Amino acid sequence: MISGTREGPPGSGAPRLIPFGGGKGGVGKTFVAANIATTLAKAGHRVVAVDGDLEGANLHTALGVARPRNSMAEYAAEREEDVRKLLEETPFPNLRLIAATRPNLASPQPSHALRVRFVRALRTLDADFVFLDLGAGADSAVMDYFMVCDDGVVVIAPEPTSVENAYAFMRAAFYRRLKLAMLSTDVRKVVALAMDERNERGIRTPLDLLREVKALDTEEAHRFVEVMRSFRPRIVVNDVRSAEDIRLGFAVRSVCRKYFAIDADYLGYVNHDAAARASVRARRPLVDSDPRSDAAVYLARIARKLIAPRVDAGGETGASE
Amino acid sequence: MKPLSEQDYYETLDVSRSAGSEDIERAYRLACATYCEDSLAGYPVFEAGDVELLRERIEIAYRILGDPETRHAYDLELAGEVHGAPAARAGTEPAAPAPTARPAAPVLAPLDTQDELEEGEWSGARLRRTRLRQGVELGEISDVTKVNPTYLSFIEDERFDSLPAAVYVRGFVTGYAGCLGLDARRVASSYLQRYEEKKGGSRRRLFSRK
Repeated sequence: MISGTREGPPGSGAPRLIPFGGGKGGVGKTFVAANIATTLAKAGHRVVAVDGDLEGANLHTALGVARPRNSMAEYAAEREEDVRKLLEETPFPNLRLIAATRPNLASPQPSHALRVRFVRALRTLDADFVFLDLGAGADSAVMDYFMVCDDGVVVIAPEPTSVENAYAFMRAAFYRRLKLAMLSTDVRKVVALAMDERNERGIRTPLDLLREVKALDTEEAHRFVEVMRSFRPRIVVNDVRSAEDIRLGFAVRSVCRKYFAIDADYLGYVNHDAAARASVRARRPLVDSDPRSDAAVYLARIARKLIAPRVDAGGETGASE
Repeated sequence: MKPLSEQDYYETLDVSRSAGSEDIERAYRLACATYCEDSLAGYPVFEAGDVELLRERIEIAYRILGDPETRHAYDLELAGEVHGAPAARAGTEPAAPAPTARPAAPVLAPLDTQDELEEGEWSGARLRRTRLRQGVELGEISDVTKVNPTYLSFIEDERFDSLPAAVYVRGFVTGYAGCLGLDARRVASSYLQRYEEKKGGSRRRLFSRK
């Protein structure tokens, strides 16, 4: 079910899985994930970057791997059972890749069971961090991967469309967790009902739902609160151009708290930078091609914060610099 | 996390109870930018009426927490709530006459003409006098105006240093006077004049800054 977050030092057992989602396409999930992965690899951590988007695989390109020899598609088609054999070297020591290129468009999408098996296998990899770069949307394929930890990264761009999708994404992730955590059929029914925003019981927020659950079953209500507390998505605002854009992360965090009872963190922002675009064109991570550029400096800062132990002092963490 | 209606002022502004005044300023500015009609972060979730409601809460929270004195009073109140004590502080209220001791027909009680005509200066003491003559409890005024009884008693006691900014005091006094059927505007401006005089210039500077 919901796994605890590992904070282990490098080289101690299972890797820490970190998903990068955000709902909307084109906001820079892959760019951010690839650059943070590269930063950490350069700092000596053993990182595996996994492309979780079979429909629009391009993490390999962002990392400068032109033609991956192997792919998640092989695993999905059950032609390859050993996840280790999917690993691909990248131009960077310590950084390996599992691509999602799909030469055969007729090849199947992995089932839920297969995705679960895949994630389980990822946890056995010999690495410090496993990054999952997710596709757009909030469908069950994406959500399966976003469930791998309590504090996945949500990338947003300072645009209404992106913000809107990010809320939908976090909301979906929250309800998904909830449904898994709730045991009684009655409570599950109410949760399923609440997942529809236009439910006739007028359950608007998780807090409304909590009230209903409390009335049904106090033990379930405890579990509910536990899910609410443990789910702490981390927001990255990409491509910011103004102080207002920077503040967006705080604003989204505030709305998450007030409207969804989701205690999101603001991990940081990456400013708009021509060098970023140039690096994408050059098919090289920015932190490698132009490490002194503004955006690269911000990305490196996010990377440091991402792996730092969490400060749980009542929501004091945030990109307050 | 609690429903909005149950959030205390700190939760409303998203600051910790140990937040410094700069944190509160920053939180307030952020809240204002977030909870407005064209907010990028808010528009996907706002429904009709949400913004007004939230803004009102934020304003109240800020007006209380933004001033060290009202904040202190509020902190005491919060601490009191924890211990199950009522919010109003003992000692600030005059020894209220027992119900039976209250004048049976306050309107007919002897008045001084000034009070009757509502002219002249309105002090806290005069407000109290008028209130007691009408047999109105502070709690009743609080119920109508939604102003905390502690502040109402501060108004009567003229504890200007414990009261929030002038604009809010004006609102409080207007509500208070309205409850007693007085000419609220005249009473409020008279009271505010005293308030300003007693409080001196340091405060006024603070408020004209915005």
